[in-house]
Amino acid sequence: MSEQLEIDDAIGTLDADGIRREKRGRRAATIRRFTSHPSLVVGTVVLLALIAVALLAPSIAPYSPTRTSLVNTLAPASWAHPLGTDQFGRDVLSRLIHGTRVSLLVAFWVAAISLSVGTVVGAIAGFTGGWVDRIIVLFNDILMAFPGFLLALAIVAARGSSLDSIILAVSIAYAPRVAAVMRSVALTIRPRPFVEASRAIGLTPTQILLRHVVPNSLPPVIVVATVSAASAILAEAGLSFLGLGVKPPTPTWGNIIADGQTAITTNPLISISAGLCIAAMVVALNLIGDGLRDALDPQMRRQTARLL
Amino acid sequence: MLRHAGHIFLRLAMTGVGIVTVAFFLMRALPGDPAATMLGDFATVESIATLRAKLGLDEPVWWQYLLFLRHAASGNLGSSVVTGQPALVEVFASLPPSAALALSGMAIAIALGLPLGIVSAVRQGSWTDMIVMVVALAGISFPVFWIGLASILVFAHWIPMFPALGASNATNWLTQLYHLVLPATVLGISVAAYIARLTRSAMLEVLSQDYIRVALAMGVPRRRVIGKLALRNALVPILAVIGVTFAWSFGNAILIEAVFSRPGLGSMLLKAILARDYQLVQAGVLVLASAVVVINTVLDLAYGIIDPRLRAL
Repeated sequence: MSEQLEIDDAIGTLDADGIRREKRGRRAATIRRFTSHPSLVVGTVVLLALIAVALLAPSIAPYSPTRTSLVNTLAPASWAHPLGTDQFGRDVLSRLIHGTRVSLLVAFWVAAISLSVGTVVGAIAGFTGGWVDRIIVLFNDILMAFPGFLLALAIVAARGSSLDSIILAVSIAYAPRVAAVMRSVALTIRPRPFVEASRAIGLTPTQILLRHVVPNSLPPVIVVATVSAASAILAEAGLSFLGLGVKPPTPTWGNIIADGQTAITTNPLISISAGLCIAAMVVALNLIGDGLRDALDPQMRRQTARLL
Repeated sequence: MLRHAGHIFLRLAMTGVGIVTVAFFLMRALPGDPAATMLGDFATVESIATLRAKLGLDEPVWWQYLLFLRHAASGNLGSSVVTGQPALVEVFASLPPSAALALSGMAIAIALGLPLGIVSAVRQGSWTDMIVMVVALAGISFPVFWIGLASILVFAHWIPMFPALGASNATNWLTQLYHLVLPATVLGISVAAYIARLTRSAMLEVLSQDYIRVALAMGVPRRRVIGKLALRNALVPILAVIGVTFAWSFGNAILIEAVFSRPGLGSMLLKAILARDYQLVQAGVLVLASAVVVINTVLDLAYGIIDPRLRAL
């Protein structure tokens, strides 16, 4: 009797919960329709806009980013200088526009290098297995033990600061992360029937790797590469802020923040605007990463939403 | 369990040798001559040669490496070119303020990030989830040094609640703590954003499992399903997240020390880099990487306790 009651009770709660879940599920679906895929769209649009700014920098910037004017230092915002001038009288807006170039270059090269190196190394590790895999994993773990920013700092310290050093440093820090993801995906692909079939019809391991493993694992790896590009921008900005980045007077967003630091109480606009630029680019890349992840893995998301 | 621990310690030893190796080749085998870098732009060929001989850089690389390994094993990482002190002594002397910053920052980050990540996973798609995720996205996207500068502007200048300097000479620990509030909070917030995002996806992964569905279908109250079943199963990935963020917070701490002019390992490293005191840089990098490895080893051991399935591995 009491058992029957308990079951009834359970069914009752299940129903109420079910309705509530259904409602929440629908609302979630609506919200998601406006967030997950639009995040991809918004991210891409912002990134493309920033690429356009970088390419057209000399023609959009109202002044030369390095033209100093000692009579007009730390000027407040005005029509002539929408974001004011820095302590050397350089136009902050023009410097920000030109600064886009360094950030984008670093992001692009780090993504390209860590993607190509990481994919190859990770695929070899995951697909060959055995000793090769163990050595690669150990090497990967060792590199990942170094905090990424610290590793970059040390490499720049050893090589001297230049754009090349920064790109190399940040790539060494982030390629292992791409490799780790690539390896784990390769591991899940290896036992799949189509791989066995290709082996049966006589494809060499290299052919299988190139034809099946790499294309199939590319989506999650691209997500990681996007995130590495975002981290690369932050790392470059950090290095430039510490004075270890691209040498001044070349404007970078990081060194603009550092320039503005001394005048933070009187002209906060310098540092604040440069920080917003960095955030815009990093948000754009993260949105693309998040959007891709959701778009690539809709199954799991939808399932959870229905459940709770 | 013992086997699990044995594997972990074996890996610890190998990783230890590994990070010493990487630190060595990072500084010496990369293109570019450390002696030339140390002496700067105005060095003569002779002075570079003299310094190379003094640092042992004219020996073959493999011999230098073996020497370095032997010295590192006995705790000798060379000495600072500037002060002549053993590099390791200098590093440990600068460690306490950095450790205080990193640990208090991590405490704030975990206290903030974990619950927010769990709540937004459980209420996926709700307004709470949306707001937490937008804030967390901002948190990982703004440079941490910029958040620090902004916090100085707002909480030290506009509303003078906290000192702009992240440290004081006072021996009074309360004053020290007062100076630590702003930097630690900034570090905490930046890392919390990261923890919240990763916790959310770890939790979502667990919540999509069949046994959760079964428990719910059987009428186990939601609260219990989440608290007992989901959370315990998500604990391993969440701990992994925290392990990753430790490395991350060390990197951020360097930048925060620079913003708040706080003494510590970060500012020492920076000074060493600018003075081209590369033995010191090497020692500092090694100590931080070792700290990350030790923390991750402790976490690896913890996984075995939390998740009995991992002990068999």
